[in-house]
Amino acid sequence: MLAMDQGVVEEWLSEFKTLPETAISSYASSLKEKASLVPAVYKVIRENYSDLLEPVCHQLFEFYRSGEPRLQRFTLQFLPELVWSYLSVSAGRDPHCSGCIEALLLGIYNLEIVDKDGQSRILTFTVPSLSKPSVYHEPSAIGSMALTEGALANHGLSRVVYSGPHLQRETFTAQNRFEVLTFLLLCYNAALSYVTSSSLQSLCQLSSRVCICGYPRQQMRRYKGINSRMMVTSEFLVQLITGIHFALCNGETELGSKALDDVLYRAQLELYPEALLVGNAIKSTLKGAALKSNKEGTRSIQVEITPTASRISRNAVTSLSIRGHRWKRHDAVDLGSPDELMEISEVDEGICTQPGAQGNSPPTIVVSNATAVSTKSVGKGLRRLGGSRSSKDKDKDKDKEKDKEKEGGAEQLSRKQSGSRAMSENLELLSLKRLTLTSSQSVPKGGTLSLSRTASAVFSRSFEQVSNALAAAAGTQQQQQLQQPQPPNHHISRENRYSACSLQEEHLSPTPHHHHHQQQQRSPSISLHLAPDV
Amino acid sequence: MTARRSGSRLEGEIERCRGENQWEKIPELVKQLAAKPLQNGEIRGLYTIKLRVTELRGLYTRKSCLLCTVRALRSGAHAHCCTATTFKVELTVRTDTANRQELAKYTEQNTVIIYPNSNNIVFIHNDMNYILCIIVNAQYLYSCLCFCSNLTRGVGRFREILRAIETRTTQNLRMTIARQLAEILLRGMCEQSYWSPLEDPPPQSPLDDPHCPTSSSRDYALSRRPRVYSGENLFCPQENTEEALLLLLISESMANRDAVLSRIPEHSADRVISLQSASVVYDLLTIALGRRGQYEMLSECLERAMKFAFEEFHLWYQLALSLMAAGKSARAVKVLKECIRLKPDDPTLPLLAVKLCIGNLHWLEEGEQFGKMVVEMEDKASEFRAKGFLAIGLVYSLKATDASLRGVQEEYQRKALGAFQRAQSLSPTDHLAAFYLALQLAVSRQIPEALGYVRQALQLQGDDVHSLHLLALLLSAQKHYHDALNIIEMALSEYPENFMLLFTKVKLETLCRGPEEALLTCKHMLQIWKSCYNLTNPSDSGRGSSLLDRAIADRRQLNTMTLPDFSDPETGSVHATSIAASRVEQALSEVASSLQSSAPKQGPLHPWMTLAQIWLHAGAAELVSPLSHNVLFMKGQEAKRWYEEALSISPTHVKSMQRMGLILHQLQRYSLAEKVLRDAVQVSSTAHSVWNSLGEVLQAQGNHAAATECFLTALELEASSPVLPFTVIPRTL
Repeated sequence: MLAMDQGVVEEWLSEFKTLPETAISSYASSLKEKASLVPAVYKVIRENYSDLLEPVCHQLFEFYRSGEPRLQRFTLQFLPELVWSYLSVSAGRDPHCSGCIEALLLGIYNLEIVDKDGQSRILTFTVPSLSKPSVYHEPSAIGSMALTEGALANHGLSRVVYSGPHLQRETFTAQNRFEVLTFLLLCYNAALSYVTSSSLQSLCQLSSRVCICGYPRQQMRRYKGINSRMMVTSEFLVQLITGIHFALCNGETELGSKALDDVLYRAQLELYPEALLVGNAIKSTLKGAALKSNKEGTRSIQVEITPTASRISRNAVTSLSIRGHRWKRHDAVDLGSPDELMEISEVDEGICTQPGAQGNSPPTIVVSNATAVSTKSVGKGLRRLGGSRSSKDKDKDKDKEKDKEKEGGAEQLSRKQSGSRAMSENLELLSLKRLTLTSSQSVPKGGTLSLSRTASAVFSRSFEQVSNALAAAAGTQQQQQLQQPQPPNHHISRENRYSACSLQEEHLSPTPHHHHHQQQQRSPSISLHLAPDV
Repeated sequence: MTARRSGSRLEGEIERCRGENQWEKIPELVKQLAAKPLQNGEIRGLYTIKLRVTELRGLYTRKSCLLCTVRALRSGAHAHCCTATTFKVELTVRTDTANRQELAKYTEQNTVIIYPNSNNIVFIHNDMNYILCIIVNAQYLYSCLCFCSNLTRGVGRFREILRAIETRTTQNLRMTIARQLAEILLRGMCEQSYWSPLEDPPPQSPLDDPHCPTSSSRDYALSRRPRVYSGENLFCPQENTEEALLLLLISESMANRDAVLSRIPEHSADRVISLQSASVVYDLLTIALGRRGQYEMLSECLERAMKFAFEEFHLWYQLALSLMAAGKSARAVKVLKECIRLKPDDPTLPLLAVKLCIGNLHWLEEGEQFGKMVVEMEDKASEFRAKGFLAIGLVYSLKATDASLRGVQEEYQRKALGAFQRAQSLSPTDHLAAFYLALQLAVSRQIPEALGYVRQALQLQGDDVHSLHLLALLLSAQKHYHDALNIIEMALSEYPENFMLLFTKVKLETLCRGPEEALLTCKHMLQIWKSCYNLTNPSDSGRGSSLLDRAIADRRQLNTMTLPDFSDPETGSVHATSIAASRVEQALSEVASSLQSSAPKQGPLHPWMTLAQIWLHAGAAELVSPLSHNVLFMKGQEAKRWYEEALSISPTHVKSMQRMGLILHQLQRYSLAEKVLRDAVQVSSTAHSVWNSLGEVLQAQGNHAAATECFLTALELEASSPVLPFTVIPRTL
């Protein structure tokens, strides 16, 4: 060690000791100007037997304890070097030399694991969820998400602990060594933006050496020093990788990619899935990016622009378009604009939240209701149907009365809607097309679809009803309906009643007669499924 | 006229170059164009480009959006824009910094949007009724944004765009920007330099280049700001990773939706592009979630990628790894099989599979197959070959333990030993090879040889807990109990919270120092248990993605977790144990009751198993783990019925068989007793107490010659028997 470096360090040591409390802040900002200090301190740490090591460690700890962020970061930048120094000495089984470095590391650890009030610090973060609105999105715009068990479990935001609580440690043991070092690296990684590039280099070196010492790769890297293997843990490697990632993207391309390779090499040998996972991901993102070592500034983030979506030709089948395909096949409805789609889905959601979803009466009937009533004749037809039904079930009382009321309500509501939302032309056209469907076909289809709960089915069914409703309205002109008038009417009345039910919040419980009927129709198939089990 | 025509010709030429992406030709053309005499209203040196109106229609349907474009060329020629109707922007873009800053300043006042169609950035000036779009080369401008201005501002700008309510036309842009912002957050920011999207950025940030003076033009005011997402309880990220994760989830949902599924050749280029963009998103998700240890969520995300991951090794591999990290072993093995199919030369894949197979799953047959794959790779496997032999050895070793026939057992032991020897010779510096070799030798009671190898392992890795444990057990087998205890204590100084070491210590202490000290150690164990697991309980609140998965995993763990037998091999000490049990209960009633109170709390399985072990030792384990055959065995000290039940649960439990034999012996049903004991010997040929019992039964039957043989065997075995079976040491890769 040169006398000059020694002088710099000694000056630094004495200066801080005489510093009054009040001057700490200005001192912290002046530290940056001492250009020769940092390399000199590195030299002290690297030379294990230096007399200055102990006072330097002590002072670095004082810096950390002061609580002044800039002083803490000053200490933190030496962390990789300190960790390496500690690990290499402990691998060499010469424990007494690293005493002060050990004490410094443990000191930082014990300060960091508690918060200001001395309580154990628990590091948590919130796992964002697309099902909750955020500053960047609205759940409805994301589109339907698959209703999986996982999705349900993740519904809403959950707070997750990722580190802590930790125990105070007095000494390093083989058991707690990597637990402590992993946590220290976590703290280091939290301040990565503030560390100097020499610190990042030192981190990369640490990573390489820890991972390859004692392995055949050590010869390849031509590192001579310790040649016994060091134990590592997967979490420790993940923390190293996090730091390396930052270094890689912030000017230390060469050292960083070497270090990443070495860590991955070790993770493969140790079969650590976590480290492999993160390391592979980083490697793969960087592969395309072709990092250039830019000369303009060492700290620069390069953002690769890979425009994609619109380059994809429109007729290629995507997950989205496939969804659309099924849609078309079922009901051949092409909603004029996606805005309309949006509206429907919003209405849809609003009603879904009501508990009265009633299994097989999907709420989409609102659509059919609204559009159907927009033509006057349909509205009349409805009223007529409602009347006929209630007369049929005269002995059935209040429930039915309510039903009737609801129908009235629904009609009013739909009248209001009809003004605001005119039925699109193509819908009308389409419904005419659909008239070719025989009514006997459409009824069972409605039933089967109601069994499946997918959104597309829900939609398709609703449009079928639209078309059916129109068909019923135009019934007088239609031969088919003259031939078989009963089933379509039946169908419509049922559907409309359901919609009325779902629209009225207060009457969720009543189970209409036809609903029962439908269930009875289905019940044989259900018992068939159960039979083999019994 | 001619000049004009040639001007338009040049323009056409430039347009063509632009279309073909031949940027390097353009500066020359621009110079030529600039040299032409100008028409009215044109400014010298300007280059006008009529933007394809359709492009803009897609972007904004307003009629008034007329536009001018500036092409900032890579080489930095003069490029200007001029107006079509009312608005005039004059901007000179050159390579020198001063002007770049000017441009950067200009970007400040406008919303920046990256226009994905043409690898360009679009500035949308949404100040008045017109929208100004300036398209400039993206790389170039980006560097302006990030170098010249600063990252802080760049991030702020991106966030502003993303907070604006999404419209159909901006979807693709949003996806790109969201991903880019996530990239910046993960690559260039850290927790300490982070500021939340709704906060003001810190005045001084390490992200900013100090050499570049920050322009103080922050006080611009736009009369019309874009509508932003608003409402009650909006989630606003408070942390680096949170924001990155949110952005990535958003872009994932889009990338996933836009992924091209069709495999027909015409769409293969599209498919590759969409796959690349999606896999970048998944990689970034991996980085973000990996940092926070959320592997379960990660595995679910990656699973969503599977629908377009056909034959894509990287995605399959990442899925396998994430399943493995999330503890979903069975599925991980299945996915790894697919990975092996895709990349048969990679030795890591079968090794990972073996690791899973011999871990929780206990799929030894599959494990053997995977192990053989590695070994058969020969040179391709290089350093992994030794690991392959190690894996195969472990599979055989576990098979030997499981085998119920002596012949089969010995066969597997021989094979295991062979494999470990190969591993050790291939990689002499690997402590694991030496250690497992030692363990296998110890199991087959070659104590001195085992000692040699365990010492070698310790020389390579001085603080390996299993090697130290094995050393202690080997010493105890040689009846050097005090030395063994010293070793254990030394090991405990490095691993003070290791229960396995503590159990062995209890055993040794009862032998060397009497039960009082052993009881103290038990008490110590309970205290450690309490401090450790009470502490870790709250942190176990990781997201249980799938309850079913978890339940299955738990049950499996329960099945395969080998509870070491802690009752003493000597028959006489059974009594001592039960006395100890009552004493322990008495002495530790406080601790126990406090533990009991926390019992209903659903905690991680492991501490409960540990607690069960401690209580088992104290003879009260049925409270915790009523279905363990060990427990029934403890209970069964009183009644044969219990032994029968114990054997029905675990038909090869040697201790139960032995006790059963003893009881039958006392009931004077000698031949049945002999049968049971012979079965027991078949199962475990090294259990000296069984041999002893068998000898007694044979003696009672008058078969003295055979009895003598048995006693001799028992004596011989007893001389090499450790305080705990060697197999308590876990065998994992």
